[in-house]
Amino acid sequence: MSVSNFRKAKEKAFLIAVGITTLIAILPLFHIIATVLMNGLPPIVAKGPVFITGTLSEGGIGPAIVGTFMLTFLSSLIGLPIAFLVGVYAYEYPKSAIGRLTKALLQIMLEFPTILVGVFVMDIIAIPMGTYSAFAGAFALAIILMPYVAVYTHEAMRQIPFTYREASFGLGLTKFKAVFRVLVPVSKRGIMTGVLIGMAKVAGETAPLLFTTGGLYQSYPHSISQPVGAIPLLIYTLVQSPSASDHAMAWGASLVLLLIFLAVFIPIRRSLKEVKL
Amino acid sequence: MNEYAIETKNLKISYGDNEVIKGVDLKVLKNVVFALMGPSGCGKSTMLRAFNRLLELNKDAVVEGEVLLFGENIYSPDIDPIEVRRDVGMVFQYPNPFPHLTIYDNVAIGLKLNKLAKNKRELDERVRWALEKAALWDEVKDRMGDYPSDLSGGQKQRLVVARALAMKPKVLLMDEPTANIDPVGTKKIEELLFELKEDYTIILVTHSPAQAARVSDCVGFLYLGELIEVGSTKDIFEKPKNELTEQYVTGELV
Amino acid sequence: MAQKISEKVSEILGKIKTCMGFQKKGNKVDSFKLITSPAVLFVLALFAGMLIVYFYNAMPAFNREGLSVYLKDVWRAVENPSEEYYGLASAIWGSIYTSMIAILVALPLSIAYSIFVVDYAPKRIKNTLIITSDVMAGLPTIIYGIWGAFVLVPFLKDYVMTPLHRYLSFIPIFSYPPITGFSYFSAGILLGIMVTPFASAIIREAYQMTPFAYREAAFSVGMTRYEATKVMLGYIKPAMFSGVILAFGRAIGETVAVSLVIGNTFNLSANLFAPGYTISSLIANQFGNAFIYSHMLPVLYAAGLALFFIGLLVNSAGLYLLRRWEKNVSI
Repeated sequence: MSVSNFRKAKEKAFLIAVGITTLIAILPLFHIIATVLMNGLPPIVAKGPVFITGTLSEGGIGPAIVGTFMLTFLSSLIGLPIAFLVGVYAYEYPKSAIGRLTKALLQIMLEFPTILVGVFVMDIIAIPMGTYSAFAGAFALAIILMPYVAVYTHEAMRQIPFTYREASFGLGLTKFKAVFRVLVPVSKRGIMTGVLIGMAKVAGETAPLLFTTGGLYQSYPHSISQPVGAIPLLIYTLVQSPSASDHAMAWGASLVLLLIFLAVFIPIRRSLKEVKL
Repeated sequence: MNEYAIETKNLKISYGDNEVIKGVDLKVLKNVVFALMGPSGCGKSTMLRAFNRLLELNKDAVVEGEVLLFGENIYSPDIDPIEVRRDVGMVFQYPNPFPHLTIYDNVAIGLKLNKLAKNKRELDERVRWALEKAALWDEVKDRMGDYPSDLSGGQKQRLVVARALAMKPKVLLMDEPTANIDPVGTKKIEELLFELKEDYTIILVTHSPAQAARVSDCVGFLYLGELIEVGSTKDIFEKPKNELTEQYVTGELV
Repeated sequence: MAQKISEKVSEILGKIKTCMGFQKKGNKVDSFKLITSPAVLFVLALFAGMLIVYFYNAMPAFNREGLSVYLKDVWRAVENPSEEYYGLASAIWGSIYTSMIAILVALPLSIAYSIFVVDYAPKRIKNTLIITSDVMAGLPTIIYGIWGAFVLVPFLKDYVMTPLHRYLSFIPIFSYPPITGFSYFSAGILLGIMVTPFASAIIREAYQMTPFAYREAAFSVGMTRYEATKVMLGYIKPAMFSGVILAFGRAIGETVAVSLVIGNTFNLSANLFAPGYTISSLIANQFGNAFIYSHMLPVLYAAGLALFFIGLLVNSAGLYLLRRWEKNVSI
């Protein structure tokens, strides 16, 4: 075999190896989706609509679904305005000491162990209140949400061509008006993406809820100062139970969570080029 | 009232150690088109941005000396740059109407946010007036709710002129306004300058001596941060005193 | 002394004020700063508050056992307070061990993925691959957890751990009998799968940034694609290194998925198939009942503090290296 043939064979072997390894890297996702469907569909089909609307003793995860939506909504209410303002600040003062510190901090918070947030919020909210609550859970989730939204806001605004900045200040607008009334609307699409990704992320979080939100699966929540449940938290509890019927519930709940996640995430992901996770 | 619209006294601008404007004394008469010409990178755009304090968006830029707007130093500590920018309108090198606003709102935004119109009727009138002044009204009057993305480059640039005029500025700064638009659009903008100078003082930055010769009344030639020569357009192009100026207007110096 | 401190504080406050520009232009209020600064201060305060809460609550543990609380491998939770003893060595070991396994899994997978996506995949497959990877990175971790516990662990136990143990148990790391399958190994593999998309995103972006001119140069001297790829990979080595560090940081912070597959047993061993604990799974599992004991809670806060600093250190280092590399490349 000539040298060039050997090189060509090596090239082919390399391509095959890389292709197979890539397949292995993404295979788990398809296996996960398949097994969640296979194991999650039977319990849902067996129970019918009760699975979505009923309480745990009726064989449903209704309160957990409501809890997840409630926590996501509340955490957005707390976290979005703050995160938005922080992102705008970081955009406006990229070179000041505090601006740089804020930016670095946001990047680190993006990667921070989420369990630490849960314990922290337990300390500053759940213990003083004397009870687990939807508010405490939402506050913990808000801390997780903030860096996503702030980083996306900052990035989206940084993409604005400098000429629009000049144009808005050139009209004699104050910094407040130039930024909030002109430049923010210019980048609203990017900011909205950050908001949706942050919300999709916190809807699936478990660890920050462990010691903050308690859990409520036998009745529907009616107050933010009382414990609520959440789908991920319920799954975590059910998986640890020895009972096979609990495991079936956990699979069913996983399917619901997976569908919620994909329904939010895929459209956002398809509508833009890059995502930071 | 002062006879000069803009006057600079020993104006120096630097970025860090890099001095880009090296002590310029300039006087610009009222109601003229003043062309500030020079090769690329000579500091024209930087100097222009000192006239409405827009340079402050760049934190590294340091301005020394004085810039007088109708006799008042706009760099004195009790002057708010925001007020200055309302009196000095600006048109940019790249046609930059706000992409997320309709044609109407692009013209109205400065008035709205600065609360310069008492009611909707007054706002409508002022928008129409500005678009007429910018010679764009006839082309857009039926599509005020459209977004500027469908306009041609020249139309966009006239929309930006209207946006600036709506604020009723005293001086209009134009930073190479025809650099990024087609010849037809360029012609319209140049024609517009003749109309506008009746009411405004216009400072036009251009790297094209031909354009300066076509549209301006007075010319300043800026080279490597120094103002080499100032004079009436006729004098500068017909009997320049400085050798560099002569080389530039005859196209030998690029 | 107290006066000195208060002077210092007011000096620092003054600096912060000037820094944030409240005193700009005499008495004129900058409404932009007025509205954004509280949000920024709130976030900074949250972070500082977190540090303080962990430190304050961990103090009793340091007072009782000193820093050796991190070095001892004991966990005696008993009713008599004087006989309670705790050490975090096994949890710290577990965190590091499983995260190391995770990056050993993730590194080859994400490098191959990046090469395939950038160099070989046709445009449509390329987009699908990138979206797939992003979905994996965002997937709720509890879903990895349930899949790991019910699908991955039994699979690994039957098809990987049992054969390895049967034929290679003379090698120390394979010597522990895989009875349940819940182990460092399972946790490491699951974490590896979870952080692969994350490392992939970093490495792929870096690989994509390699200037085309370099690639052209490689081909122009007659290299095959494989040879050119090898050269290019050398070029992005620093970015790969940051990707590995950041993936490690992510793995070490993961809680629920790990806690469902690691077996939650105090153990300090290099035996891959032995069950163990990680810092985060320890906190998740023990916090609920720590209140019953007299000395356990501060130890868990000390564990949290350790995780806090590991997270801070690893992530800042990774981000710093990545930014530095990006800066060098873009010039």
